[in-house]
Amino acid sequence: MTFTDLKMRVRALLRRTRVEQELDEELAFHVEHETRKLIDAGMTPAAARERAQARFGSTARAAERCRDERGTAAIDDAIRDVQYALRTIARAPLAAVTIVATVAIGLGVVAVVFTVLNTLVFRVDQVPDVGAMYTVERTRADNGGRDLLTRPMFDAMRAETDVFTDAYATVPEIDLHVAGRTMVATLVTGNFFQVVRVDPVVGRGFVAADDARSGGNAVIVLSDKGWRRHFNRDPQVLGTTVLVNGAPFTIVGVTAAGFRGLEVDSPDAWAPLSQVAQFRPRDRGRDDGVGVEVVGRLKPGVSRAQARAQLAAWDSNRSAGAAGRPVSNLDLVPRRGTVPQPLEAIALFAPIFVAFGLILMIGCANVANLLLARGVARQREIGIRLSLGASRARIVRQLMTESVLLALAAAAGGFVISRLVLEGAVRWALRIMPIDIGDINLGVPAADWRVAVFLVVASVIATGFFALMPALHATRVDPVRTLRGELVKNARPGRARNVLIGVQVFASALLLICAGIFLRSMIAAATFDPGFRTADTLLIAIDNESTRTALTQAVAGEPTITAYAAVRPQMLAPLRVAFAGTGAGKTQVAFKSVSGAYFDVLGIPLVRGRAFMPWEGDDHSVVIVSESVARTLWPDGDGVGQVFRFEPATGLQRPGGILTVNPDAPADDATLQARMVTVVGVARDVRGFRFTDVREAGVFFPTGVDAGKTSIVARANGDPTLARQALLDRLTKIDPNMGTIITMRTVARLETFFLQIALWVSLILGGLALVLTVSGLFSVLSYLVEQRTREIGIRMALGASARTVTRLVLAQTTTPVLGGLVAGAGLTAALATALLASPAGAVISQIVRVTDPVAYLAGLGVIVAACLFAAWIPAARAARVDPMRTLRQE
Amino acid sequence: MARTPDLLPGTLDLLILRTLQNDPLHGWAVSERIQQISQDVLQVNQGSLYPALHRLEHQGWIEAEWKPSELGRRAKYYRLTASGRRQLAVETREWERMAHAIGRVMRLA
Repeated sequence: MTFTDLKMRVRALLRRTRVEQELDEELAFHVEHETRKLIDAGMTPAAARERAQARFGSTARAAERCRDERGTAAIDDAIRDVQYALRTIARAPLAAVTIVATVAIGLGVVAVVFTVLNTLVFRVDQVPDVGAMYTVERTRADNGGRDLLTRPMFDAMRAETDVFTDAYATVPEIDLHVAGRTMVATLVTGNFFQVVRVDPVVGRGFVAADDARSGGNAVIVLSDKGWRRHFNRDPQVLGTTVLVNGAPFTIVGVTAAGFRGLEVDSPDAWAPLSQVAQFRPRDRGRDDGVGVEVVGRLKPGVSRAQARAQLAAWDSNRSAGAAGRPVSNLDLVPRRGTVPQPLEAIALFAPIFVAFGLILMIGCANVANLLLARGVARQREIGIRLSLGASRARIVRQLMTESVLLALAAAAGGFVISRLVLEGAVRWALRIMPIDIGDINLGVPAADWRVAVFLVVASVIATGFFALMPALHATRVDPVRTLRGELVKNARPGRARNVLIGVQVFASALLLICAGIFLRSMIAAATFDPGFRTADTLLIAIDNESTRTALTQAVAGEPTITAYAAVRPQMLAPLRVAFAGTGAGKTQVAFKSVSGAYFDVLGIPLVRGRAFMPWEGDDHSVVIVSESVARTLWPDGDGVGQVFRFEPATGLQRPGGILTVNPDAPADDATLQARMVTVVGVARDVRGFRFTDVREAGVFFPTGVDAGKTSIVARANGDPTLARQALLDRLTKIDPNMGTIITMRTVARLETFFLQIALWVSLILGGLALVLTVSGLFSVLSYLVEQRTREIGIRMALGASARTVTRLVLAQTTTPVLGGLVAGAGLTAALATALLASPAGAVISQIVRVTDPVAYLAGLGVIVAACLFAAWIPAARAARVDPMRTLRQE
Repeated sequence: MARTPDLLPGTLDLLILRTLQNDPLHGWAVSERIQQISQDVLQVNQGSLYPALHRLEHQGWIEAEWKPSELGRRAKYYRLTASGRRQLAVETREWERMAHAIGRVMRLA
C-alpha cells in the first residue's frame, strides 16, 4: 500500500459524504458531456440523454466499482449493514428483546462458571513477570507421598546454586485463632517481597533482619483481605499488634488489593518464616524439620530444563554423602498463583460447564427457532433485494451483521447477569453456611479481560449456531416466486425443528432429574440419624497444652454446659487402626480414647456392661467395644468380660468422607502398646456422618479430661449456639488462640449444606431450562398451527373432529419430546452408573442417591406436564379453527 | 452497437496513462481520445473507465484536480504524476516486448 493510497483511503473514510458527492458529480459530468456530443451530432436532447445513459450503463454499478477500487467498500458495507440492522431491530423490538434476553441468560450462567474457573486457573497475581516463578519440589513417590524440603536445605540451595535471581521459602496457610476468629497466615522468608517484586502499599515489607534465625522480629504484613476482615480497613492499623499464640506481633505493612502472594487464595497475613514455632506450637523445637515450599524466580536466559539439571546435580552432590538417594528427584513446577493442576481443575469444571452450557444451548435453540420463523416472514423483503441484484453473500452478511449486533448486546447482558448471580450466590452461600465454620471468606471472584474475551467469543459462537443457519436458509428463496407473493411456506425443515425441541427436552430432563436426585438425597440426609446426639452437643478443641487445665476448668464452670467428656483424637479427625485378636482370629478396628462421661454426653447407649469409672483414667487394660466389634469377635457371647489381644497398627482409618477435617493431625496415642485388654462394656453402634467423615471407633480406651491431646465434647443446656458464644467469650479470655468450638448441629448441617447448594443450583438451572423449553415449544407449535390453518380448515370441512385436530397438533411434538426424555433419563442413568463405578462411588452413593427412581419419575413427569401445558393452547386454537372462514379467505 | 473487443488485462491502465502523458484530461476526454485515436476500434467500456481512473489515482500514478471545464461546470481533471511517468515507461516497454513476441509467434509459428 503506497502512502497516496493510505491517504486517500483515510480521506474516503473520514470524508465519506464529500467523496461520494465528488464521485456522483464526476459520473454525471461524463453523461452530460456525452449527451452534449450527441446533441451536437444532431439528436434531440431527450434521445441524446437516453442514448448517453445507455452507453454508460448503470451509474450505480460504476460508482460501486469505484468504491471497490477505493478499498473502503468493506467498511462502507459494514456501516450500511449496521444501520440497516439497527432499523430492522427497531422495527421488531420485541423479537430483538426476546433474543437478547434469552442468550444473555445463557451467557450469564456460563460466564459465572467461567469467572470462577478463571480465578482458579488463569488469573495470576500482580507479580511482575510471573512466568519466571517456579516451585522447587520433590516428585511424588509411588505411594503418593512427597518428601518436603526444609529450611536448612533451602538456605543451602540459595547459597550454593545460581539458577534463580532469588528464591523464597514458605509455609503456607496456617490457621490461627485470633480474637475468636480464624486468621490464615502464610510464613515466608525475609526476602519474599523482594523476590515477588511487590511492595506493600502501606508501610513496609519484610527485610532480612525480620527473618533472622535468632532474634528475628515479631512482625506481620497484612493482605488487603486480612486488613478488611480483621481490621475493617482501619487506616491506623500500622503499629498495632496481633496476638499469635500469646505473643504480640506488630503490623508493619498492608499489601495492595488483588495481591495473593502466589497462592490461589490470599492469606490474611504474612509473617517471617523464623517464627514458625510461634505460629504452630507443635513445631516448637523442630524448626529445621518443618517442610517448606521453595519458590524462585529463574534468572533471565536460564531455561527450566537447565535449571532443573543444575539443581539436580547440586542435590545429588549434596546427598552423595548420605547413602540411599543418589539420584535427585527435584523438579521445577511453574508457579503462577493458580491451582497447581490446572488441567485437573478444568476436567473437574467440565461437567459443571456442560450443565450451565445446556441453558445457553437451549436458549440458542429457541432463538434459532425464532429466527427461522422470522426468516420466513422476511422472505418477501429478501426476495426483493435478491431480484434487485444483491448477491446471496451480501444478504447473508447482512443477516449475520444483525445477529452479531444482537449477540454483542447479549454478551453485555450476560456480563451483567453473571455479576449479579455471583454476587447473589456468594451472599446466599455465606448466609446458609453453618456459622461456626462460617469464618470462611468467600469473595466474589473478579471479572477480568479473560471473562470479557470469553463472553464475546461465546456470544460469537452462539451467533454462529443460531444466526448462520436461519440466515443461509432465508436466502434460499426464489426471487420471482417470492415477488409473485408465493412464500415458500414449507421452508422450515421439520427435522431441524424437531432436533431443536428434542435437545431442549433432553437438557431439561438431565437437569431436572439431577434436581430431583439432590432433593431426595437432602430429605434423606435431613432425617438421617447419625446415632448420637447432635441437637445440643459441642466440640471444643484444645490446641494449647499449657492452658489446658485453665480451659477445662472454665468449661466445667460454664453454666450453659451440663456435661462434658474428653475424647482423643478429636471427633472430626481420622482414627488410628489396630488389630483385635482372639483365639479365633484377628480383625481390624479403629480406636479412640474417651473419658467416662463420653457415652452419656453424646447419648450413645451402652447395651451391656458399664461405662469407664473415673479412676480408670489411663488404665489401658480395660476397653469398651462397639456392638458390631463384639459380634465379630464373639458371635455367641455378649462380649462383656471377654479378653482379646490389642495390637496398634500403623496408619489411619482410610478417609471415607468427602470433607476431611485436619487430615494431617499428628497421630496420637503413640503410647499404646500391644497388650491384652478386658471388655467392660458394649456400646450401641454409631453410624456417624458420611459427608464430614465422622465415624465412631470400634474400641474405646479410657482417658481423662486432663490427659494431653484430648478434646472436649460437651452437652449444652438449651441452644448450643448460645453456649458456644458463651464459651468463646469465656475461653478466649484465658487463651486468645484457643482452638475451635463447633456445635454438632453445624457438623450435621454440613451433611445437607452441599446437597442444598447442589439442589438449588440444579433446580434453578433445570427451571430455567424448562421455562425456555416450554416457551420454545409453545412458539413453535403456535407458528405451526398458524401455518397449517388452511390445511386444518380443509380437514375439518372434510369431517375431522376437534379431537382429531388437537391430536394432530399434539402428535407434532410427541416424537421429539419422547426422544428428548429417553435420551435425558438414559444419559443421567449412564452417568450415575459411571459415577458409582468410579473410586469415589462408594462414598457418593451413600450421600447422593444417584439412582433414585422417584427422582427420575418426578423429573420426567414435570417435563411431560409442562410440555402438555405448552402444547395445549396452540392445540386448542387449532381445534377452534372455523373451516368456513379459512376456506373463504382463499 | 459494435462490440468492443476485449482489451488485454492491464492494457486499459496503459492506455489511460499514455493518454494523459501530455495534458491533464477529464474522464470523458480520456475515453473520447482513446476512441478517436484508435479510429473507433477501441471503445472504452465506461463502466470500467472510472474504476480504472480511481485505481490509478490510488496507486499514485495520476492525480486529480477539479477545474472548470469547456462545458462551464467543473470537472475532475487527471494528470500524470512523476511515478506515473515511470510506470508508463515500464508498461510501455512491457507492452512492446509482448507485442513483438506475439508478432513473432503470428509470423513464424
